[in-house]
Amino acid sequence: MAKLQSGNGVQRGTVESLAEHESSSLGSDSELNGFTEIQTDKYGFIGGAQQSTGENDNIPPDVLRQREAKWLDMLNSWDKWMAKKHKKVKLRCQKGIPPSLRGRAWLYLSGGKVKKEQNQGKFQGSKSHDARFKELDSQPGDPKWLDVIERDLHRQFPFHEMFVARGGHGQQDLFRVLKAYTLHRPEEGYCQAQAPIAAVLLMHMPAEDAFWGLVQICEKYLPGYYSAGLEAIQLDGEILFALLKRVAPVAHRHLKKYKIDPILYMTEWFMCAFSRTLPWASVLRMWDMFFCEGVKIVFRVGLVLLKCMLGSQEKLKACQGQYETMELLRSIEPRYMQEAFLVQEVIELPVSERDIEKEHLFQLRRWKETNGELHCKSPPRMHGAKAIIAAEPPSRQDLKQNPTIIVEVPQTTESKMEKGKKAKSKMQKKTDMKNTSPPLNPYPLPSDPALVSDTLAPSESQHLQGSNQSLSSTENDTYL
Amino acid sequence: MNMGTDLAYNFVFKVVLIGESGVGKSNLLSRFTKNEFNHDSRTTIGVEFSTRSIQVDSITIKAQIWDTAGLERYRAITSAYYRGAVGALLVYDITKHLTYENVERWLKELYDHADPHIVVMLVGNKSDLGNVRTVPTEEAKVFAEAKGLLFMETSALESTNVESAFLEVLTAIHKKVASKEVTRGSISAVTLGQTLGPSSEFKEERRSCCNSS
Repeated sequence: MAKLQSGNGVQRGTVESLAEHESSSLGSDSELNGFTEIQTDKYGFIGGAQQSTGENDNIPPDVLRQREAKWLDMLNSWDKWMAKKHKKVKLRCQKGIPPSLRGRAWLYLSGGKVKKEQNQGKFQGSKSHDARFKELDSQPGDPKWLDVIERDLHRQFPFHEMFVARGGHGQQDLFRVLKAYTLHRPEEGYCQAQAPIAAVLLMHMPAEDAFWGLVQICEKYLPGYYSAGLEAIQLDGEILFALLKRVAPVAHRHLKKYKIDPILYMTEWFMCAFSRTLPWASVLRMWDMFFCEGVKIVFRVGLVLLKCMLGSQEKLKACQGQYETMELLRSIEPRYMQEAFLVQEVIELPVSERDIEKEHLFQLRRWKETNGELHCKSPPRMHGAKAIIAAEPPSRQDLKQNPTIIVEVPQTTESKMEKGKKAKSKMQKKTDMKNTSPPLNPYPLPSDPALVSDTLAPSESQHLQGSNQSLSSTENDTYL
Repeated sequence: MNMGTDLAYNFVFKVVLIGESGVGKSNLLSRFTKNEFNHDSRTTIGVEFSTRSIQVDSITIKAQIWDTAGLERYRAITSAYYRGAVGALLVYDITKHLTYENVERWLKELYDHADPHIVVMLVGNKSDLGNVRTVPTEEAKVFAEAKGLLFMETSALESTNVESAFLEVLTAIHKKVASKEVTRGSISAVTLGQTLGPSSEFKEERRSCCNSS
C-alpha cells in the first residue's frame, strides 16, 4: 500500500506502490530495490519535473466543493447545458475544472463520452458485439506500428509516477490506447506526438475513455496533425505566424528577418498541445479551455508566449540570430508560463475562431500555389465542445453517467433522493438488474451484517458502514 | 576534451543528426554536448539542438548540433532543419538491422534537401550491445566507403567514440571549408574576425567563408 502523506502539495509514495504486481524494475538506470521513498508532486511528477514549483495556489476546499457540485449538475444534463448555457460552461472551464472531475469533464466536453457509449456494442458483455475498444484491444495490431509504439512507451513523461515503471500499468495502458488507435484508423497509423496526448488523458481516465478522448482530439480538434505528411501542422504554423503579425508585430518582424520557420518552434507546442512545454498546472488549465473552445486556445498560448519572449526590442537585443532566437523560445521564462498569468493572457487575447478560419483559407490557397493539392485532406476541424455536440447530437442514454461504485441506499433516504432531480449524488438504485444481488462489501466492519459470505437476496437492503458522511447529506459527496 | 567558451570561435558548423526513431540520436547529442545519457529521454518532436565548441588544430569550432524526430512522417517537415547544415551524422542501431536497411532512404532524403557538399558520417550506435548485434561492422564499413561516407561505431551509453565521431566530422568540414574545395557561398558558416566580443556584435553573414591560414 502506498504511504501517502500530504503537506505542501508533496506526497510520498513508496516504490512498492509502483512495483506492486509489476515484474520489471523502476527504470533501468536506477538501483532502487525494496522500499525507497519517491517524492512526487500533487500531479504525480517526481523530483520537480514538469516545473511544479509547489507554490500554494490551491483553491480553498469549500470553493472546490461548490465547483464540483456545479459540474456534477452540468454533467447530469449535459445536452441542455451545451445547448442553452454554453457560455456558462465556457466560463467554468476558464476557471479551471475541479481535479476530481477533470477526466470526466474532458470526456464529456470532447464528445468522447458519447462516442464511447455509442460504441458499446449491441449486447453488454457479449462476445460477438463487444465494445469497440475491447474489440480493438484484443486484436494483435500491425507489427510495424507496434514496434515504434513500444520504443516510445518509456519515453513519455518518464518522470511521472504513472509511466516511470517499465512495463508497468501506465505504459501498458499507453500501449493499448495507441495500438487501438492504429487499428481504429489503420490508414493513419501512429504518430509519435500522439503518445504524450494519450499519456495526459491516461493520467485522468481509464484506457477506454482515454482512447475515445484521443480519437476526438485526432479527428475533431486537431484533424490531420498526426497524419502522414504533417500538412495540417505546417499550415497551422503559417497561420500562427500570420496571426502574430497583428498580435506582436515586433516579434513577427524578428522571426521573418532571421528566416525562422514556424515549424522550427511550434511543432512540439502544437502537436503535444503544450503538454511538454508548460508547467503542469498550466497544462491542465489550458486543456480545460482547449476541450471547451478548441484549437484557438492552442493558437493563443503560442501567440502569448511569442509575444512575451520576442515582443519588445529590449528582449530581442539578446538574440540576434536564428540559433539564439530558437534557444530563447526553447527556454520560456517561467513567469510567462505561470498558471494565473497565462490563463488571463489567453482569455484576453483577441484572436477568434473566425480569425483562424479566415487565415486558414488564405494559407491554404498559398499552400496550393506552391505545393499543389493537399495529400491528406482532413475533415474540417471542430472548434470546441459545442460544435462537436451540435454536429452529432447525442441521445440521453449516451450522456448518462455510469458510476462504477453503486451504493444501495436504505429505504428512508431513498425517497429524499428521488425527489430532487437536482441530486448531485452518484448513488443509483439498480432497478434494471433485479435479479442480481448488490456487490458484497469487501471491507465489512464487525457490525456489518454483510459479513456473511452468501449472496444476499436483492430485497434485503444493505447498510454499508465505514463512512461517517451521511448519505442524505445535502452536500451529496461523491467518491469518484 | 576542450569544451571551449561561447565567446571565442572561428566557425559555426551546423550538423544534423538523422536516422530512424529510437537509434539514439538524442543521446548522441546529449552525450556530446552535455556529457549526459538518459535511458528514458523523451521522444523528439520537432527539433532539439545544442552546441559545443571544440578545438581543431588552432581553430575553435562551435558545433551546432540539431536533432529531429526519426519517424517517417516527420520527414515532411525536415527541409527547414537541413537548411545551412554542413555536416550530418546518419545514425542506425547496430542491434536493429531494419534501421540499417533504411539508411539508403535517409541518404536520398539528405541529398534531396541538404547542401551537396555536406559531410556525412554513417554511425552505428549502441556498440555496447555487441552481443545482440545484427549489423556486422565490416559490412557497414564497406557500404560507407562505397557511398563516400565516413564511418564509425559508437556507444552513447558508454561514451565510446562519440567524441571521435563528431571530431572527425567537424575536422572534415573544416578541411573542406579551408581548402577551396567549395566555392564561396555554397557552405554557410557564420564567421568571426579576429576579435572577440558578445554575440550581439556578430554579423549574421550567411554567405561568407573565412579563409584562415
